[in-house]
Amino acid sequence: MTQRKNFGLYDASFEHDSCGFGLIANVDGRASDWLVDQAFRALAKMSHRGGINADGVTGDGCGILLYRPDAWLRALAREAGIEVGPLFAAGLMFLERDAASAVTQRSVLERCLREEGLQPRGWRDVPVNESACGPLGAATRPCIAQVFVDAGDGADEAAFERALFRARRRARTQRVAAGDDIFYPVSLSAATIVYKAMAAPGRLREVFPDLQRADLAACAATFHQRFSTNTLPNWRLAQPFRLLAHNGEINTIRANRTWVESRASKWKSPLVDLSDLGPLVSTAGSDSQSLDNMLEVLLAGGIDLLAAMRILIPPAWSAQDNLDEDLAAFHEYYALHTEPWDGPAGLVMCDARYAACSLDRNGLRPARWARSDDGHLIVASEAGLWDVADQRIVAKGQLGPGEMLAVDLHEHALLDATAIDRINAGRAPFKRWLRDGVAYLESHLIDPGLAAEPFAPELLARYQKQFALTREERDIVLKALAEDEAEATGSMGDDTPIAVMSRQSRPLYEYFRQAFAQVTNPPIDPLRERLVMSLVTQIGQEGNVFDLSPENARQLMLTSPVLSQRKLRQVLALDEYVHRQRKFDLYFDERTGLKSALEQLCRRVEEAVRDGVVLVLLSDRYSSPGLLPIHALLATGAVHAHLLRLNLRSDCNLLVETGTMRDAHHCACLIGFGATAVYPYLAYQTLFDMNRRGELKGRAGEAPSEIGRSYRRGIRKGLLKILSKMGISSIAGYRGAGLFEILGLHHEVVELCFPGTPSRIGGATFADIENEYRAQLAAARDPHYALPAGGLMKALPDGEFHMYNPAVVGALQAAVRTGDMALYRQYADAVNSRAPAALRDLLALQPQTASLDVDEVEAPSAILKRFDSAGMSLGALSPEAHEALAIAMNRLGARSNSGEGGEDPARYGTERMSKIKQVASGRFGVTPTYLVNAEVLQIKIAQGAKPGEGGQLPGHKVNALIARLRYAKPGIGLISPPPHHDIYSIEDLAQLIFDLREVNPTALISVKLVAHAGVGTIAAGVVKAGADLITISGHDGGTGASPWSSIKYAGVPWELGLAETHQTLLRNGLRERVILQTDGGLKTGLDVVKAALLGADSFGFGTAPMVALGCKYLRICHLNSCATGIATQNDILRRKHFLGAPEMVENFFRFVAADVRGILASLGAKSLAEIVGRTGLLRQMEGVTDKQRELDLSPLLAASALVPNAAGCGSAPQTHTELAARIAADTAESVANGKSGCFHYAITNIDRAIGARLAGAISRRHGADGMAHAPLTLQFRGSAGQSFGAWNAAGMQLILHGEANDGVGKGMAGGRIVVRPSEHARFASQDTAIVGNTCLYGATGGEFFAAGRAGERFGVRNSGALAVIEGVGDHGCEYMTGGTVVVLGVSGLNFGAGMTGGFAYVLDLERQFVDRYNHELVDIHRISLEGMENHLQHLRALLRSHVDHTASAWGARLLADFRDVLHKFWLVKPKAASLDALTDELRRAA
Amino acid sequence: MSKKDTFPFLEIHRALPREVPVPIRVLDYKEIHGDFANGDAGDQAARCIDCGNPYCSWGCPLHNRIPQWLKLVRDGRIEDAATLMHETNPLPEICGRICPQDRLCEGDCTLETGFDAVTIGAIERWTTDEALRRGWRPKLNAQPTGKRVAVVGAGPAGLAVADGLAHAGVQAEVFDRYEEIGGLLTFGIPPFKLDKAIVRTRREVLEGMGVRFRLNTEIGRDVAFSTLIKEYDAVFVGTGAYTFVDGKLPNQEAPGVLPALPFLIANARRAGAQVPRRPWTAESGRRILGLSQAANALPDIVGKRVVVLGGGDTAMDCVRTAIRMDADSVTCVYRRDEANMPGSRREVKYARDEGVQFLFNRQPLEIVTDANGVRGVRVVETALVNDGSGRAKPQVIAGSEQVLDADVVILAFGFRASPPDWCEEFGIARDASGKLIVGANGSLPLQTSHPKVFAGGDAVRGADLVVRAVYDGREAAKSILQKLGVARALFA
Repeated sequence: MTQRKNFGLYDASFEHDSCGFGLIANVDGRASDWLVDQAFRALAKMSHRGGINADGVTGDGCGILLYRPDAWLRALAREAGIEVGPLFAAGLMFLERDAASAVTQRSVLERCLREEGLQPRGWRDVPVNESACGPLGAATRPCIAQVFVDAGDGADEAAFERALFRARRRARTQRVAAGDDIFYPVSLSAATIVYKAMAAPGRLREVFPDLQRADLAACAATFHQRFSTNTLPNWRLAQPFRLLAHNGEINTIRANRTWVESRASKWKSPLVDLSDLGPLVSTAGSDSQSLDNMLEVLLAGGIDLLAAMRILIPPAWSAQDNLDEDLAAFHEYYALHTEPWDGPAGLVMCDARYAACSLDRNGLRPARWARSDDGHLIVASEAGLWDVADQRIVAKGQLGPGEMLAVDLHEHALLDATAIDRINAGRAPFKRWLRDGVAYLESHLIDPGLAAEPFAPELLARYQKQFALTREERDIVLKALAEDEAEATGSMGDDTPIAVMSRQSRPLYEYFRQAFAQVTNPPIDPLRERLVMSLVTQIGQEGNVFDLSPENARQLMLTSPVLSQRKLRQVLALDEYVHRQRKFDLYFDERTGLKSALEQLCRRVEEAVRDGVVLVLLSDRYSSPGLLPIHALLATGAVHAHLLRLNLRSDCNLLVETGTMRDAHHCACLIGFGATAVYPYLAYQTLFDMNRRGELKGRAGEAPSEIGRSYRRGIRKGLLKILSKMGISSIAGYRGAGLFEILGLHHEVVELCFPGTPSRIGGATFADIENEYRAQLAAARDPHYALPAGGLMKALPDGEFHMYNPAVVGALQAAVRTGDMALYRQYADAVNSRAPAALRDLLALQPQTASLDVDEVEAPSAILKRFDSAGMSLGALSPEAHEALAIAMNRLGARSNSGEGGEDPARYGTERMSKIKQVASGRFGVTPTYLVNAEVLQIKIAQGAKPGEGGQLPGHKVNALIARLRYAKPGIGLISPPPHHDIYSIEDLAQLIFDLREVNPTALISVKLVAHAGVGTIAAGVVKAGADLITISGHDGGTGASPWSSIKYAGVPWELGLAETHQTLLRNGLRERVILQTDGGLKTGLDVVKAALLGADSFGFGTAPMVALGCKYLRICHLNSCATGIATQNDILRRKHFLGAPEMVENFFRFVAADVRGILASLGAKSLAEIVGRTGLLRQMEGVTDKQRELDLSPLLAASALVPNAAGCGSAPQTHTELAARIAADTAESVANGKSGCFHYAITNIDRAIGARLAGAISRRHGADGMAHAPLTLQFRGSAGQSFGAWNAAGMQLILHGEANDGVGKGMAGGRIVVRPSEHARFASQDTAIVGNTCLYGATGGEFFAAGRAGERFGVRNSGALAVIEGVGDHGCEYMTGGTVVVLGVSGLNFGAGMTGGFAYVLDLERQFVDRYNHELVDIHRISLEGMENHLQHLRALLRSHVDHTASAWGARLLADFRDVLHKFWLVKPKAASLDALTDELRRAA
Repeated sequence: MSKKDTFPFLEIHRALPREVPVPIRVLDYKEIHGDFANGDAGDQAARCIDCGNPYCSWGCPLHNRIPQWLKLVRDGRIEDAATLMHETNPLPEICGRICPQDRLCEGDCTLETGFDAVTIGAIERWTTDEALRRGWRPKLNAQPTGKRVAVVGAGPAGLAVADGLAHAGVQAEVFDRYEEIGGLLTFGIPPFKLDKAIVRTRREVLEGMGVRFRLNTEIGRDVAFSTLIKEYDAVFVGTGAYTFVDGKLPNQEAPGVLPALPFLIANARRAGAQVPRRPWTAESGRRILGLSQAANALPDIVGKRVVVLGGGDTAMDCVRTAIRMDADSVTCVYRRDEANMPGSRREVKYARDEGVQFLFNRQPLEIVTDANGVRGVRVVETALVNDGSGRAKPQVIAGSEQVLDADVVILAFGFRASPPDWCEEFGIARDASGKLIVGANGSLPLQTSHPKVFAGGDAVRGADLVVRAVYDGREAAKSILQKLGVARALFA
């Protein structure tokens, strides 16, 4: 990836996409125009899953792949005067619009074709109707030509395809080498042809008259609609590609691209020469494109589609104990030589033999299928896309996580997941090969007590000093890892300077910020969804994936990449490697210089690997006098990059023995930049020493005996968390991926050691780093020098600088308590004149016009309107503090933010109400009433202190009030999942925005993101998804509780994120569609003005108003013992010690507004609006340290333009559902008068969030009780679009005959939703999917009955709804805190993970459930006839209701046989709830 | 100590070690606080909430690592706590006793608002005493360097320098004109605040570290300063502030009028039952204190009415000493109000408890005498006026004069630095008030204008807190080590 210097912060490599997709095939191989027609209609019905560009018309691209439309192709050729033979191929090419260039491009392809022995027969220009594309699409359209090619004489089709593949690849490679980026073969195959365009999906056929011909018939087609964060139209990236179309995001793309290249030289197929094709996968463009490239290579090399797809995107086989052994062996065998392409993925693909659909291991994209009685199969992102009558459907279903479904177009057979697995498992005796070849080291047998080879105290002290261990790190970080097997927890934000700004020497690892997923891909919950994750690491030499042989299984497996001492020794002592290893000491003579030392190291390692060395041990364990150390991370990165460049990396393993690694972030850096495994000896030695001195406590308060193992467990947990933030499930997909943003290293360092990792502002050079080594080494030799105290976590007088140091806190409090502007001035001057600590401190104002009189500047009230308080939940804050903040903001005409945790309805409509209501992943208390009482609805995607992570409110903080507002039980802990379970991709976000707009049409919809490289592109996608307001949070945002490593190592300063977002939106013409806000450590008017100049319209404040209320920055929020009564629920602390008053907050904001006015006057500006984005008013000052002086902030200042009418804001073009409008009109009178009524409608999949608008109207008119007194019944017939019944309010009965898509009953608060198949249905309901994924997510009440199966994650975060369903996918009832769920059929894996409340009855006819539920927090009980009468009665009553509402035949049968099936039901309940208490509750409810 | 409980500060109240009841404690000069029982110190330490901003550390001139050692005390790791205390403070048991914690660490403690501060001083004192009692001693890692440094004055600054040097393997020789180390710690501060046995223990500790004391040795008289310059690698001057601030009250030469220091020193010698190696004479008193009135030091004040003029800690020492000398009445007269007193509030409280009368807003005008000497003090009432220039100024209220009856008047207006005469000869610069100038352009912190000579404590600051003198000593040691090229940093 190349860095675009001097062009601001936008980088095309950050782009993401996502979408809707589908496949239609006739299993019997009957081609028809009907099938083609259905494909286009289905595509048109997914418009809402795509993005619309700034011109309001041009889509992000769509396309169709047709299987063997032979007659049509022959006709096209014939009409163009081209003759083709019996075996021919046709393909589309994107060419230069300039005719002369196009001729060159054609001739290159023709030459390449001939060189492969093929005969190009002729070209035809493909007619294009530009007007159907939209202005942007038309402007960027390439010339589109169709080529026809004949196979050589006697060639078989497979060889023909391989020759076409080689010709195509070579032609493209040659053109790219010649600087031509236009030439692009859309497809060229004998079996399939792809048409694609930048157009709205409904208009694809209009674009290409070819597609409108009556003779177009096919027996299979795949189609795709794209939604891209990319707004610069690119026809190439429309899908399907040559083989596949992808909905989702490959999170591991960087590792995949890297490792594929490193193996390229090993991969040799007897069938095809891969050596002269250029890079095997594209390193630019989209992840989907690279995946398509990869699949092509595997197929060309001779692996068939069924195996290739399972190799690239395997299911979560390693954690499934009950997986067939042969199948597991198949996956394990291939895992030795490839790493998974990992991330949310729904894929449809089609080659010469199969049309197939496949899903990622976590099932994060929906794929619904249906089969008709005439042999047609449709699979697509949504149900309800085709025009087939109900009575002709014979089966319907949903692909589960990691499942694949294929149509064999030769054998005319439908292959389900089991059939495909059987084929794959039988390909070779994998099990035997693995048994003979793979060796394991069992970690727990190896020195858990760390007793081996302890350092002498002097040696330990020397190493500790040399590697700059601080006491803080020892006593907090290491101690927590060893005592609690987890990372230390902290609170508040990181108010220290980033490493490069610091005037101290900071560990090199602190220059690296972890990448995390937001919006375009979801993070994983590494605790509750552990089953999809793996840290398994192998050691050995990789083989040739095309070579199916037992030799390839000779590998050593480790359970994790963190080694113990004995394990390292054991690996090094293995017979196989004992003569194929070499140790490289990481020390150098300072006369050499660090850079040369690294280069020498690389060359020495290279030589060794060429000599056959397999184990490369990089070690800083053995120092020599007079030599300086090379940091292990520099060495690892440089060696890894060097070996990659030479395609040698896969021949060896990098083992790193280092004193620099202490915490999980350090470990992640080393592995992320290429280490195979690490051995952190100094951490072990330090822990051993602490234990010897009695400083560690074991579980029972005694000295622990297994500190080594505990430490490793803690590190592993941390590693999983870091992987999960990026949505990556296996360490293989993380290794070498460099998933970081570098903050503050000079490009000479980045180029040599960390190539390809974003690093945007320059910084420390090799010389700077070397100087710091020298100082540390000198310190290490000084016997008087004690370990430094640290001070990164706490503001120690002799430690790192803190921006909220005691003096600042004291000055601010003095000012707001007295209301004395002079005292504020003292505070602000102290803040503004601190030694440069934040990036903005290096940016000075430079007025360009004469100053004004302050009176000429807009009134403070106009400025105050732009101030929000940042989201802080009631729960994190005491009610007193939360309300004081709301009152202050309301009185100022500004807005406060409820945070995630609901709000007391008593506050609605008063000055205590929060005008911004937050919708976060836990959906606590998110009811329709909550949503309508808001001016802004903020979707919190990530928070600065812990982006990509979930949260947990421990039980002791859940008091009666909190429990009531969050629909939970007092004393029971609550979990916020890492992702929003209804946002796994950008089109999901668009859907949630749509859902929220439906329930509250007057509210602005806001999306909160965290700054990191690429956030601007995400923001562009968010704007296209329809958001009105975007908040870019800095990394320094506060938190009530978060692991320390998350507070310190994720996210970047808002200055970078804000500038990048502003620039990207400007560049894409989207800037005026959105209000841009920033937050993160804003303290004074100067901060506000600088933020405005960098592009912010609006400003969020979190910590400063807290300090104004009396917060003293104690950083003990997570302990509930806040002595200032702010961040605690403790009665005494709140009652006696909370001394805050709204006036203090008001004073603060008035001061800041006045301060802003003054600065505006000095800049000669009459209003804030005048300076938004005017980066020309800023200039970079010289720093005060060497490192600071190397910083280049010019990318932040790249765009200086005025934003037209930014704060006004019109939202994105909406696809308004006509149905919702009709319902609104029909029910208006009933709602106004509180009268019941009954209404009937037809519904289709484009009718989304039906019910939400009505729920909003009812909640506004009737409050939380809704119309329970006079219910409205709405009957629907058809296939409902997404979010059917979202936010359903009391008194709303939605009855759907047909089926529904994802998100049914999302946020339901009351009423009833019934989904039942049409009366004509021929399938068995308990075997058939009737609703999609994540139904009832965040429901707080109401009833739900569905006669059929639900998809994955049914009832996630349910806190009060009652549901009866006939089967669920994986992760059912995850994080549930209340309500009752009855499952009358098969349940998927991981049921009840993180479930702390409510209960479920699950029918288990096949006796599988014991292996399928998550044992962590729930237990299961048989319902016996004795002692559980209440449950028996309850269950029977629910069953009866189910049958009454849905007329389910299955339900009726169970009811009839109730006594016989009763013992096959499990009662699933939280361990924390006693059976008796549950029974009591039932009795009371009865 | 239970660790899981996060609310000890709510459940356990601040409790200082038990005070000896007033009627008993005024009978002698012993310290007025008992020790914590072991559990109590831990309980009190557990009240610390370990703030993200440790205000206590910031409030402490030495930046002691207070929360960190409180945690160790809570966990019962007494020796480790003592080690950590000594990292920043060579005299923790002394600071723990005599620092005005209510104005420093405890005053800044987060819990001070609403909960009452953690008993930092008492824990510091108890912990060091206990560790020393258990045989703990500072650990020396350094090899001897062969360097030697002379330290003039065995007060807190001098002791701190010696400690720092000893840790780095530098031989410190400490000269003092008195017969015991400590300077004002021994001779100025009354034993009921600081038991002299504590200073003796510290002397043993320092001697154990290799520090040599050469007592009863006055530089410039017994040993020439030039000898120090010649024979040592560096010299530290910590000669303190003994020159009393002259109130220039009419009749202040009258019998029965005493400056504070001679009064306290003489009493310290007597009360501490120290046998002076040289007999106490009017001559030696004059020599030491440079005041003719010293001839009258320590009159018998049993049954007399004593008036002490001044509002600082020295004044408090005088009044509480006078109470113990069986004065009939003891009155403290101060020209500002109570809130504006420079002395520690804690000391004022003890003094009140022990029976001292306070008269605020009174400015002394003259000593009223008769033939026998002092008869009283003429004072005038004052009102405080805030002219915005800093501290409120007392303004005389016309016509409010009165005479306070007194048999003995003690003058405690404060002290100024008393730089030795040889400074001039060796080009060691002083400012107008006589304070030594250190750290001027280009020189190391606490280095005087003579490159080989360093200085700190009251000789540089004028009369100031012991803890600041310790700070100077600690920092001077760093500068000296740097100058000698011995070590990079001792307490980085």
